[in-house]
Amino acid sequence: MNIDHHSGLSFTEAGGPQIAIKEVTPTTVTFVLSNTDLSVANALRRVMIAEVPTIAIDLVDFELNTTVLADEFIAHRLGLIPIISHQAVHLNYRHECTCSPYCEECSVLFSLDVSCQSENAMSVYSTHLVSSSPAVQPYVDPANEKGVLIAKLRKGQQLHVKAIARKGTGKEHAKWAPCTGVAFEYDPHNKLRHTTYWHEEDARKEWPLSAKAVEEPAPRDDEPFDYKAKPERFYFTVESTGALPPTTIVTQALDVLMRKLAEVHRVLGGIAEAQGEPVVQPTYNL
Amino acid sequence: MSMIEPVEDTHGFPFTEGATKFEIIPTDAADPSSATFVVHDEDHTLGNSLRFMVMKNPAVSFCGYSIPHPSEFKIHMRIQTDGSITAAQALNQGLDDLVALSEHVLATFEAKVAAKGDYETRDI
Ligand SMILES: [Zn+2]
Repeated sequence: MNIDHHSGLSFTEAGGPQIAIKEVTPTTVTFVLSNTDLSVANALRRVMIAEVPTIAIDLVDFELNTTVLADEFIAHRLGLIPIISHQAVHLNYRHECTCSPYCEECSVLFSLDVSCQSENAMSVYSTHLVSSSPAVQPYVDPANEKGVLIAKLRKGQQLHVKAIARKGTGKEHAKWAPCTGVAFEYDPHNKLRHTTYWHEEDARKEWPLSAKAVEEPAPRDDEPFDYKAKPERFYFTVESTGALPPTTIVTQALDVLMRKLAEVHRVLGGIAEAQGEPVVQPTYNL
Repeated sequence: MSMIEPVEDTHGFPFTEGATKFEIIPTDAADPSSATFVVHDEDHTLGNSLRFMVMKNPAVSFCGYSIPHPSEFKIHMRIQTDGSITAAQALNQGLDDLVALSEHVLATFEAKVAAKGDYETRDI
């Protein structure tokens, strides 16, 4: 097979992809990735949504539920509660663990024990959940300190639940996605004609300019279409669910991407070595 | 407490440890300049960016990828070189380069985040 051939690229401050951070808030980060290809920017976007691991409630045992809501309805709502996931890197995935059905290497136990004694309806919030691990708690937005509303109970109604939270990724279930969304835009003036604006008479009168339009010069009316042009500035806004800080989502996504590639690289090297070829050392150090 | 795990057919997801990650389908056993590489448990994320990186190599005359069936979690990556290097070399270099690029983006991002004051911050 012979894979011993190398003339690797090098990425210098000026030659490689560039990043300009515009704004950081507790739940969002806005940045521009430039001087790279659409496929690389899109890989980053896809990994942030689907492959950065977080912790979410995955298995729920109802000991008592006399609320008006069905068990599976409440189980679904519990699954969607964002849980602070710094510990996700230290947890095993379910399929990595040999335990049955769960252990503290792969799971965090939550319990919810509420009953309504008052004449008025009682609201049950995510802050009522009691975690077995102090480092793994439901995320609470400072503007809404009670947390997420799970259910409402009338006098005499009870809810006793044990829930297992596990590590997972958005590609298995969206509840594990660390971001509510990734805003991703390039070519705000549509110079590349990657999209077509539906219009009645004049698209430029009928459509608002993109918020990112100020970032790039508008095309002149007499400018010919550059069919060789490629997108090279990508505007990102990553909004976190609260499970991870937004900048951590970006750094973990790049780490996940690197490890995916390095794994394929390692397997390819292994096949070459099995065929009696010299070991080729990678130029990166993971 | 007895918790019952729901059992369902996951169609090979998540990827099981020990399963085949990578296969090589030679186009012609006598011609190492062209081959199809099968990468299991990967999708457009790796496929498209790796195709871009392999195509940057001037010795590569063709590189394309496909997901042969939507319910099989794998990609096929076809590489054809001009003969000066093998298809496996082109893939090996593409992988190495793309890890190096990701490493560069990660280091750049971390440095820019550390440079507080160069960007706006809000508490809400
Ligand atoms: Zn376990």
